[in-house]
Amino acid sequence: MIIVEPKSFEEIEQMTKGCGRLLVLGCETCSAMCFAGGQRQVAEIASSIRMSKKMSQDQTEVLDDTVARQCELEFLDHVKDKVAACNTVLSLSCGAGVQTMAKMFPDRRILPAVNTKFIGRATKRGEWMEMCMACGDCILERTAGICPVTRCAKGLLNGPCGGATGGICEVSKDQPCVWQEIYHALKRLNMLHYLKQKPQVKDWPVHPDKVVRKDLREVGAT
Amino acid sequence: MDNTTHIEYQDFPPCQMACPILTDAREYVQFIAERRFEEAFASIRKLNPLPRVCGRICMHPCEIACKRGQIEEPISIAALKRFAADGPWADHYKVALPGKSTGYKVAVVGSGPAGLAAAHDLALLGHHVTIFEALPVLGGMLRTGIPAYRLPKDVLDEQIQTILDLGVEVKTGVLIGEDIKLSNLFEHGYKAVFVAIGAHEDRKLGIAGEDEIEGVVSAVSFLRQVNQGENPEIGKKVAVIGGGNTAIDSARATLRLCADAVYIVYRRSRKEMPAEEEEIEEAAHEGIQLFYLTSPLEIIGQDGKVSALKCIKNELGEPDASGRRSPKHVPGSEFAIDVDMVIAAIGQVPDSSLLADELELTERGNRIHLNVPNTLATTLAGVFAGGDAVTGSATAIEAIAAGKKVAISIDCYLREESPPTASRTEVVETKKLPSGVVEKTQKFARCHNISLPIDERLKGFDEVKSVFSEDLAVQEALRCLHCGIGASVSTERCISCLNCVQVCPVGAPATTKMGEINIDRFLCQACGICALECPVQAIDIGLHPRGELGQQIKKAVSMSEDTAVVGFFDYQGSFGPDDVSSLKKQYPGIAPIMVFGLRRVDTSDVLNAFEAGADAVLLAGCPSAREPFAAASSGVTQRMAQAKAVLDVLGLDGRRLQIFDMPERGLVDEEHLTEFMHTIADLGPNPLR
Repeated sequence: MIIVEPKSFEEIEQMTKGCGRLLVLGCETCSAMCFAGGQRQVAEIASSIRMSKKMSQDQTEVLDDTVARQCELEFLDHVKDKVAACNTVLSLSCGAGVQTMAKMFPDRRILPAVNTKFIGRATKRGEWMEMCMACGDCILERTAGICPVTRCAKGLLNGPCGGATGGICEVSKDQPCVWQEIYHALKRLNMLHYLKQKPQVKDWPVHPDKVVRKDLREVGAT
Repeated sequence: MDNTTHIEYQDFPPCQMACPILTDAREYVQFIAERRFEEAFASIRKLNPLPRVCGRICMHPCEIACKRGQIEEPISIAALKRFAADGPWADHYKVALPGKSTGYKVAVVGSGPAGLAAAHDLALLGHHVTIFEALPVLGGMLRTGIPAYRLPKDVLDEQIQTILDLGVEVKTGVLIGEDIKLSNLFEHGYKAVFVAIGAHEDRKLGIAGEDEIEGVVSAVSFLRQVNQGENPEIGKKVAVIGGGNTAIDSARATLRLCADAVYIVYRRSRKEMPAEEEEIEEAAHEGIQLFYLTSPLEIIGQDGKVSALKCIKNELGEPDASGRRSPKHVPGSEFAIDVDMVIAAIGQVPDSSLLADELELTERGNRIHLNVPNTLATTLAGVFAGGDAVTGSATAIEAIAAGKKVAISIDCYLREESPPTASRTEVVETKKLPSGVVEKTQKFARCHNISLPIDERLKGFDEVKSVFSEDLAVQEALRCLHCGIGASVSTERCISCLNCVQVCPVGAPATTKMGEINIDRFLCQACGICALECPVQAIDIGLHPRGELGQQIKKAVSMSEDTAVVGFFDYQGSFGPDDVSSLKKQYPGIAPIMVFGLRRVDTSDVLNAFEAGADAVLLAGCPSAREPFAAASSGVTQRMAQAKAVLDVLGLDGRRLQIFDMPERGLVDEEHLTEFMHTIADLGPNPLR
C-alpha cells in the first residue's frame, strides 16, 4: 500500500488561502487506510477550511466528496461536475492521485493535502513502515524476503557495512541492521550459502518508469 | 393477526432468547440506563400483563443466560423489571384497550398466571372472557402458593384488577368438573375453553407414618391457609421436606408464624436444589437449617402426633433422566431430627381427577394430555389446556407463556383460521466468552436491593426485598453488555483497512480471505470504538446509531439565542432527561444533545458545531469510569485535542472546547462549569455566527 501522511492544518490553510470555490476530495483506498483521506478526514478538513474562510471574510464555498481511488480516470468521472463547479480541488490522495486529477482537470488547481511517503505497511496502530522503494528489479528471493535496497540505510546489496552495534544500524538508533536480520533469516531457512553469491548488477530504472505488457495490450486491442 | 410466527433465535440477545415470552430485557434495561423509565415499563408491559408479579417472583431464566454472568454476575434483570413496573411512571402507561367485540364467549378455568395471561390477551383480541375459579380468591398459586413477603397481596390485587378492567368476568367458587362439566360450558354459550387449573396437589412422601400421624401436612394446603390469613396451627420444630421454592416458602412462612426451629430436608446437594439461589440464601440467613443429602425414612409419632423425623444420609450416584445425580442411601447413616410438624413439599401435580372423564390425562402425574401441543388443544374439541396442569409444576413465566400462546390458538380457532406454525427452535445455551474477553471487560459489581432486617422480617409477612432506587437501577442497568446490537459493517462502504481489527478490544471483527470484515455479534459489546475509528464510516452501532447527529448539532445551535453552547451529554454518565433540563434551566445557553458514550462524538462533529456558529462545545460524561474498555476514553481526549488544535490555528481559541469528566452522576462540577462559561463570555461570541 502507498503510505501517506496528512499535512498540518496550518499548511493546508496557507495553501487554500484565496483558492476560490474549493472541492475537498477524499480517496478511499490507500489514503483512507492511512487515516488521511477517508470520509472522516474529508469532513474534518472541509469543516475547518469553511471556518477559516469565514474568519477571513472569504465568501467562497467549500464542497466535499470522496471517490474510491483518485488514480483512476473512471472514478474521477463521477465527480467531474463538482470539479467543474470549483476553482480548486484539495486532493487527499497520494501523488499519483493528485497528478491524475491534474491530468484529468487541466484547468483546475489541484492541491495536495497529504505527503506521499512510501510503499509500506502498517506495523502497528498509527505506525507505518517503508517496505519497498519500487527499484524495479526485485532480489527478495536472495535475501529471505527482507529488502536491503529499501531497509538498509545505505542500500547495500553485498552484506552489512560493519557500522552496526548490537544489531542496531549506525544511521538510526530505532532501526535494526537489516543485513543482520537477513543473515538470521537465511540461517533459519538453511540458505546461508546465498550470502556467498556475488550480487547481480541491478537494472536500475530510468525515471519516469513505465510498465508495458504486450500480452495485455494485445488482448485489449482485439 | 399474522399466522406465522417465524422466530430466528440467533437474532435475539441471550436474555430475550431465554424468556418463555421473549421479553426484550435488553431493551427495557437500556431504557432504564437512559432514565427513560416510562418507556422501560411500556416495553415490559406490552408483552407481560403481570410485570409487577414477575419483577418479584420470576425465576428469571434471562439472568441465567445473561452474558454479563460470565464476566462477574448477571444483570439483575428481574429486579430492574420490578423497578420499572413499581414506579409512579407506570400509572401513565396507556393500557391497551380491548379490541372490537367478536361476540365470542371464552371460558378460562383457573385464575393463575396462565389463566390471567390468557384472559388478558383474549380480551384484547375482542373476546368475552369469563374466568372460573374454584377458590373464593383469584390468582391461583400466585396467591395461595407464594407468601406475601415475596409477593404482597395488594400488588397481586392491583395486577389482577388491570386485567379485570378489560371487561373480564369472574365466577369464583365454581369447581369445573363438579359444579359444571367442561362440555356443559358450551351449552352456556362459551365457544372455547382454556383449562389452566395448575398443579395444586402435593406429591406424597411415601414413607411410614405419613397418613396416620397428626402433624404431617402438605405444603400446598399449608401455604394456602397461610396465604389466606387463616393462621394454621404450627409446631415448635418443623421439618420441611423438599428442595424447591415451595419448600423454601413453607419453611420461611413457618418461621414467620413463630416456629422455634425450622429445618429443610433435601435429598441431593445444594447444587442440585431447584429452588432459586437467592431464596436458599435468604432462608439460611433467616436461621433455617438445611440438611442436604438427606432423605426422610419414617415419621415417628408419639400419642398419634409427630415427635421425630427419621432420616438417612445420601451420596450422589449416576445422573438420572433429569440429568441430576440421583441420591443413594449411605447404609448405617440413619439419624432422627426432633420435630413436631412435617411439611411435605416434594413437588406438585395437577388435581385433575374431576376432569378425567372428559379429558385425556397423562399416564403419570395426572397432567392433561394435549392433542396438538403446538396449539395447546386437548382431546375435547374447543377445549385447550396449559400451564402447570399440562407441564406439571413449573414457573409463573412459563404459565404466562402458555396463556399468551393459547390466546392466539383460541383466536384462530374461533375465527376458523389455521393456527400459527411455530418455528421456534430450542433455547440454546449462551456461548462461552473467551477468557481474554472476560479479562479485558471492565468489571462492575451487581447491585442488590435492600432487604428488610431479619428481626423486622420475622414479625410478619412484610415484603423482604425493597425496590431499587432510581440511581441504583440506572447503575445496574448500565452494566448491560448490549448483546447483538453492537457494530455492523456495511460491506459496500468497507475498504478493508483492518483498523477495526486493530482497535477492537475483544477481537470481534474477523477477516475473510477476500478482505471482507465480519463482526462477531456475540463478542461485540457495542463500545463503538471501531465505528469512530473507521476511516470511511462503514461501521455503525445498532444501539443509538449515529444517524442524524449532524442535523441535531445544527438544530441545537440554531435554537439557542444569546450564547450557544452545544453540550454533548452522555447517557452512560447517567444523564437523564430531567438532569439535562434542570441544567438547561441553570445555564440557558446550553443546547443539549444526548449521545451514548462520549466516544460517539467525532472531531468533525465538534468542528461542525463551531462552523454552525456554536460559541463553545462541551462534552460531559464519564469517559473513564463507565466505558466498557479502558481504551475507549483515551480516544475521546485525543480527538478533542486535535479539534482544539484546529480551533487555535483558526484563531477561534481551543478553550472554547471542554471535556467534563463526571466520576458519577451528580452532573457537571459547577465551579468548573461556571469558570468555563466565564471563559466563553470573555472570548466573546463565535465570529462565525
